[in-house]
Amino acid sequence: MKDLYLIYKNLTRKKTRLFLTCFAIFIAFLIFGSITALKGALNSGVEMSADNRLITVNKINFTQPLPYSYVNKVKSIEGIKDVSHANWFGGFYQEPANQIVTMAVDPETYFTVYDDLVVPEEQLSQWKSNRRGVLVGERIAKTFNWQIGDTIPMSSNIFSNKDGTQTWQLQIDGIFRGENEKADTGYMVFHYKYFMETQTWGGDNIGWLIVTTTDASLNQQVSDAIDESFANSAAETETSTEAAFNKAFIEQIGNIGLIIFGVVFMAFFTILVVVGNTMVLAIRERTNEIAVLKTLGFSSPRIFKMILIESCMLSFIGGLLGLGAAFVIVQGASQELSRFLPNLVLDQSIVLQALGYMLLLGLVTGIVPAVRALRLNIISGFQGA
Amino acid sequence: MSLISQSTAVIVMNVRSLPRRFWMSAAMVFASAVVVAILLAFLAMAKGFETTLQSAGSPDVAFFLRVSSGAELNSSMSNDQVNLLRNAPGIASDENGPLVSPELYVIVDGIKKSSQTKANIPLRGLGQQGIALRESFQLTQGRMFASGTNELIVGQSILNEFEGFELGSEIRSGKNSFTVVGIFTTGGNVFESELWADSRVIQNLYNRGSSYQSLRAKLTSPDNLEQIKAYIENDPRLNQDVQSEQSYFAEQGQGLSYMALFGRVISTIMALGALAGALNTMYTSVSDRSGEIATLRAIGFSHFSAFVGTMAEALVLAVIGGLVGSVAAFIFFDGLSAATLGGSFTQVVFQFELTTDLFIQGATLALIIGFLSGFFPAWRAARVPVIVAFQNGR
Repeated sequence: MKDLYLIYKNLTRKKTRLFLTCFAIFIAFLIFGSITALKGALNSGVEMSADNRLITVNKINFTQPLPYSYVNKVKSIEGIKDVSHANWFGGFYQEPANQIVTMAVDPETYFTVYDDLVVPEEQLSQWKSNRRGVLVGERIAKTFNWQIGDTIPMSSNIFSNKDGTQTWQLQIDGIFRGENEKADTGYMVFHYKYFMETQTWGGDNIGWLIVTTTDASLNQQVSDAIDESFANSAAETETSTEAAFNKAFIEQIGNIGLIIFGVVFMAFFTILVVVGNTMVLAIRERTNEIAVLKTLGFSSPRIFKMILIESCMLSFIGGLLGLGAAFVIVQGASQELSRFLPNLVLDQSIVLQALGYMLLLGLVTGIVPAVRALRLNIISGFQGA
Repeated sequence: MSLISQSTAVIVMNVRSLPRRFWMSAAMVFASAVVVAILLAFLAMAKGFETTLQSAGSPDVAFFLRVSSGAELNSSMSNDQVNLLRNAPGIASDENGPLVSPELYVIVDGIKKSSQTKANIPLRGLGQQGIALRESFQLTQGRMFASGTNELIVGQSILNEFEGFELGSEIRSGKNSFTVVGIFTTGGNVFESELWADSRVIQNLYNRGSSYQSLRAKLTSPDNLEQIKAYIENDPRLNQDVQSEQSYFAEQGQGLSYMALFGRVISTIMALGALAGALNTMYTSVSDRSGEIATLRAIGFSHFSAFVGTMAEALVLAVIGGLVGSVAAFIFFDGLSAATLGGSFTQVVFQFELTTDLFIQGATLALIIGFLSGFFPAWRAARVPVIVAFQNGR
C-alpha cells in the first residue's frame, strides 16, 4: 500500500511532464489503433473468404466476359457443390460519384454459394419472384436510409437501358447481412435475366463464375478440371480460390500500401523511442532519492519492482486512453466510411497487440533505471547528487 | 550591454551546452525529423501521381466519352457516332482529313516485378493519327507496329515494372498472342503505362465489331469546345461528353489526393505527439540550466535574453530535425517508383516527386514544432524568480 502511494507520488511529482509523456503515448497508440484497424479493413476480403469457394474468370483478365454456357458445363464437373455467376453493372446512385457495387446475379443460386450471407426467407422468395427486385446489403441500405419496398433508380456507367436511359428502376425486396460483422455488405444484387433483357447490347455473357466445392481439399482438383475443360477455347478460364482472388485484387493497389503502413509504423515506434528516452531520464534524475530509500531500509528488489510498476503504469495510462480514442474514431469512421471501407473494426487482436506494446514500452523504459537502482551503492548514489 | 548582444551571448551559451543534454536533444531532433519525413513521403506520393497524369493531357485536344462513363474503360461508341463526331466543328485537319483518333481500351494481365503478382495493364488500340496526337511520343527501341498485324509497342514504365515485355517477346492474352516490336516513351506521363496496338486488330481480337471506346480530336483552338458541345446536343444520335484531354487527366490525377490529405492528418497528429516530446526536452533544458539562468539574471541580463536563448535552442533543434527528415525523405522517397490502380482500373506507374514546394511545407512544420516547443519553456525561463531558480539549480 505504502509502495503504491510512493509510486503515485513519483508519477505526479512533475504534472507537466506527466501530462506531456502521457499525451505522447496517447498519440502513439491512437495512431496504432486506427491504422491497424484500417489495414485490417483492407485485408478483410481475404480473411472473410470461405475456404471452399472458387472464382472462375476469363484468363485474359477478369474484366473480360465468359459465355453463359459455361455455367451448365461446369455443373457436371466432379467435386462441385453449387455454381453461380455474376456480372459487373458499374452502378451509381443519382450522381456518378456515388458509386455502388452492383451485380446482376442468378437469384436461384447466389445466396446458396454465399451461404454466409443471411436473408430472411420471405424476403428471399419475394425477390426471386420479382424480376425487377433487388436485394441490398445492410450497410448500403443504412447509408442511404433505404427501406424494403422503396424503388431506387440505379444507373450504370457502362450499360444503357433499352428505354434510352442508363437507369434501371429497381425495387428493394430485402436486405441481407453477414453472419460475421466483418463480412462485406456494401453492395446490391439484382436479376441477371432482367439485366440481359433490358440492356442494349443483349447477348448472354456472364462476368465470372462462383463455384463451391464439396470439400476444400478438392479445390485444386476442381479448379484444374474447370480450366482444362475450357483450354484452347475462345474464352479460356482461370480459377482460383476466393481468398487468392481477393488477395490478388488488393495487391493491384501495390506497394503504396506497404509504403504507407511502413511509414506509419515507423512513426509509432519513433514516438515510443522519444517517450521512452524521457521516461528513462526522468527516473535517472532520482538517483539521489533512491539512495535515501535504500538508507531507510527499502530492499533493492522492492525498489526495482516499484520503478517497473511506475513505468508500466505511465505506459498503460497513456496507451489505454489512446486505444480508447482510436476505438471511438474507428466506430465513428466505420459509420461514415461504410460504403468504401466496410470492415473497419478495432477488434480483439488489435487490442491484444496494443496491450503487448504497452507492456513492452513500460518494461523497456523501466528496466534500465530499475537495474541501476538495484545495483546502486548508497554512497555513490549520494555522491552523484 | 544591448539586448541584442545579451541575447546573442545567451544563445551561444545554450547551443554550446547542448551536448550536456545530448539524449534529450537527440530525441527532439529525431522526433521532428520523423514527422517531417512522414509528411514529405505522403505529399511526394500524391504529387508524383498527379504529375504523371496531368502531364499527359493537352489543352487543345478534345476528349469524347459516352455520357457519365467517367473513364475510358467504361465508355463505348459506335462507328457511326465516330463518323458523326469526325465532322464536328472546330476540329483541325490536314491533307488526310480531320485529325481525330478513335481508340479502344482493353485490360490485359501483367506480372509485377516487385511482387510477382498479376495486375491490370491497359492495351490501347489506336492508329497513326492517335500517335500523332501525342506530341511527346518517341520510339526508343525497335519500330512502330505495322497496321493489321498482331504487333504492339510497349511503354517504358511497363517495361521497367512488369515482366516479359522486352523487345521481341511474345505476349499471350487468352488465345491471342502479340509480338513486342518497339518500346516508346512519352516523357514519363501515364501513356508510358500502356501497351499500344492497331485499333482494327483489337476490335477483331476482342470482339468489338466496328465500335470504339473513346475519341480524341485536335482542336484548331482550345475555345472550340463549346461549339462541339452544342453540336452533340443538337444531334440525338450522339450521347457523348466532351472535355479537353487536359481536364480529363487533371481529374484522374486527383485519384491519390486523398493520400495527401491522409498524410497531412497523420503527420499533424504525429506532430502533436512529437510536440509533447519536444516540450519535455525543452522544460528539462530549462530546469537543467536554471542555475545559469539565475546567475545571468542576477548579473543583469534581461528577461528577454533568457526567453530568446531558450527559444533559439528549440528552433535550432527542430530545424536540424527538419533538415535530417528532409534529407532522409529525399534519399528514400524521391524518384521511388510505384504502381497503383488508377481511375481506369489499370496500373499507373509513377515516381514519388519531392518538389521545392513540398520541402517548404516540411520546413514550415519543423519551425512550428520548434516555435511551440520553445515558447512555453522559454516563458518559464524568463519568468522564474531569481531566488527560486537558484534553489532549483542548487
